[in-house]
Amino acid sequence: MTAYGVPQERDWDALTDEEFREHIRAEFVANYPAHLRYPPRRLRWRDLEDWYRRMARKGWIAPAWPAEYGGMGLSASKLLIFLEEQERHGIARFQDHGILMIGPVLMRFGTEDQRRRFLPGILSCDEIWCQGYSEPGAGSDLASLRTRAVADGDHFVINGQKIWTTLAQDATHIFVLARTDPDVKKQEGISFLLVDIATPGIEVRPIRDIAGHEEFCEVFFDNVRVPAENLVGGLNRGWTVAKSLLGFERVSLGSPKFAEYGLHVLVETAEACGVLDDPVFRDKLAGLQLDVAHLANAYHHFAGILTRGEPLGPDVSLLKIWSTETFQRIADLIIETAGAAGGLAGEVDVGAAEINVLAAYYKARPATIYGGSNEIQRNIIARNVLGLPAG
Amino acid sequence: MSTPVPIPPLPGPEEADAETLGMIADAVAAYAVPDVARTRRVRDSAEGFDAKVWRDMAEQGWLGVLVPEGQGGLALGLEAAAAIARRLGYAAFPEPYVPVAVLAARVLSRAPESALRDDLLARLVAGDLLPGVAWQGVRGGIDVTGTHVRAVPAGDGVHLGGESRFIPVPGADGFIVSASADGGLGLYWAEAGQEGVDVAAERAADGTRSLRVTFSDALVPAENCLAAPGEGAAILRAALAEATVAASAEMTGLIERALDITLDYLRTREQFNRPIGSFQALQHRAVDLWIQKELARTTLDATVRALAGGAGNLDGWETAASSLKARAAIAGRLVAGQSVQLHGAIGFTDEYELGVYVNRALVLAAWLGNAAEHQRRFGARAPIGGALPGQVKGEGRS
Repeated sequence: MTAYGVPQERDWDALTDEEFREHIRAEFVANYPAHLRYPPRRLRWRDLEDWYRRMARKGWIAPAWPAEYGGMGLSASKLLIFLEEQERHGIARFQDHGILMIGPVLMRFGTEDQRRRFLPGILSCDEIWCQGYSEPGAGSDLASLRTRAVADGDHFVINGQKIWTTLAQDATHIFVLARTDPDVKKQEGISFLLVDIATPGIEVRPIRDIAGHEEFCEVFFDNVRVPAENLVGGLNRGWTVAKSLLGFERVSLGSPKFAEYGLHVLVETAEACGVLDDPVFRDKLAGLQLDVAHLANAYHHFAGILTRGEPLGPDVSLLKIWSTETFQRIADLIIETAGAAGGLAGEVDVGAAEINVLAAYYKARPATIYGGSNEIQRNIIARNVLGLPAG
Repeated sequence: MSTPVPIPPLPGPEEADAETLGMIADAVAAYAVPDVARTRRVRDSAEGFDAKVWRDMAEQGWLGVLVPEGQGGLALGLEAAAAIARRLGYAAFPEPYVPVAVLAARVLSRAPESALRDDLLARLVAGDLLPGVAWQGVRGGIDVTGTHVRAVPAGDGVHLGGESRFIPVPGADGFIVSASADGGLGLYWAEAGQEGVDVAAERAADGTRSLRVTFSDALVPAENCLAAPGEGAAILRAALAEATVAASAEMTGLIERALDITLDYLRTREQFNRPIGSFQALQHRAVDLWIQKELARTTLDATVRALAGGAGNLDGWETAASSLKARAAIAGRLVAGQSVQLHGAIGFTDEYELGVYVNRALVLAAWLGNAAEHQRRFGARAPIGGALPGQVKGEGRS
């Protein structure tokens, strides 16, 4: 019996890696809706709810979590296989910050009561989490955030504003970095709070982006009362909690899947435009194929460290830089290849097929900004890996 | 694509546990300490390499890590050879380790059994023989069918005629010659001093010598045939793939050293009353160089793992080697050029340490196929359309 989630259908360790891969793949092939494979942008919860609730019922919603907390409890190699197969099949990501972030945070920093309260909702997909970090005045300089949380009896009262909150309109909960002590060094006065979005005083406003989508939002807090027991990791310890997630984020943002998807669209576009065998195109393609192949090598190096449970160093920032900038170069070549149709929106006639030739461009644009802009990542490497002096 | 060609087998097994590899790496690191004064002396000498250093390397067994035990080697495999080459690159050693102890040793190891083969290997391992592999025509190229040497039957041997180039083995005692004959490529042993073999040396950017050999009806007796026509191509291709990996390992070591020198300079050189490494424009450029180094390093590790053990087929080996060499050459050229820029004028002087690495990077980037050639071969062979196996064309779009 497990205290969280549903019991696993079998002992995964008893399967060979190949058997496990076949088992996972069979489920994806048989049951994942074909029209949702490789979506050109983030899909909404209404599109993905059926699939992820199915994953939740099977006990597959949290492949990286230990079995005692309701995860699949996979070994390092089987976890990699699971993620690989998920990417290979083009399975869309939902607003998974509960699985990827809150779960691991509560396992490490949470109290037993907090785990009992929040892990089941994450595992069942009844509660969807989003990340309240950035503010209008705190982007790259996140630690200068100004959203305040003031203790008031057994509650905190939050006032302020978050922005660039991905898919907040799908979320039932938000984890918030808020200033609880304005009189100390900026990193030392921040706390990590768990907040129900239905709490009075919260307003979520989607932001329309240049692609015409609404993937991120503004979230306003007006005297929002949050129970004190929703504080994670201790008062003024929020920066430590948040930092523990950064390495993981830089690995997942460094996955080669975005660039591999881009290459796929690039080749389809070239084929439809009749330039696939053009030597100039092929040379450019080969250069990008190399960049993606070598990204995959670097990714597996860091994923190996992560899945062995070893600490990631600041050098992991290279993954985010290389994957997102490679993706942008691919997106640029898609547009170049499409010629005159490179200025048309949506699925457009490019010759022998209809292809959305701008989807990769729009998807790649914010990738060098979110999760710590690439300039910030370069600062981190310069300072903490290369040992270059502060400016 | 045609039927996969298997890797020509070695006469004996190879094995290296982590402990042995660690010991080799430590020994090479202790011996191959960067000493550009020595590198320059060797560069400016008549021989073009240091005979004492070569003997030391033989005594430590490094020349035999890719040679089977039955032929006097250590049979440790490609991981050990790559580790040695990487450290020699870090120390800018001008000695021809990869051309002799990887390329020639591997051609001989995979050649059919013969008294000549075993004799050549034993002398190579002992440091008593410097064999060059003559396989490229005067314009270079990475396809083994591009040889400009012909083998024409003469009595029970052959006459070799034609020209071969880009053999970075100064003072080579002889050549393993890849020659086209009726029936395909054969491999022949020709002595450097024999009649009909004319050896000229071209000076490489780093001062080492690259040999250019003209064969004019050079008579090769039957017993000097190392691989019969038709048997030579697979042996040579496998050895070239491994040598390309080892040369990339050497380049990776070189990049690591050039970057170390440059980062030290950025930390200590002051202008405008502050270390120039505190300027963000320079920091970000240094990070981009470091990223290229990391891509080369992780790709090197993955490629060595893929080839060590001998599994796979020739096309796969060549594709993997091309992927790696393209990255190593791109990274090497970029780091070399940008390191000069990050130093300023001092980086362009021969007196300063960096130049030795810059010039060596030019040599290694061009040898065995440059970035453009390997990128082209990789592109022609890599699965087109990116890595989305299992994906039916067009199905993925929503």
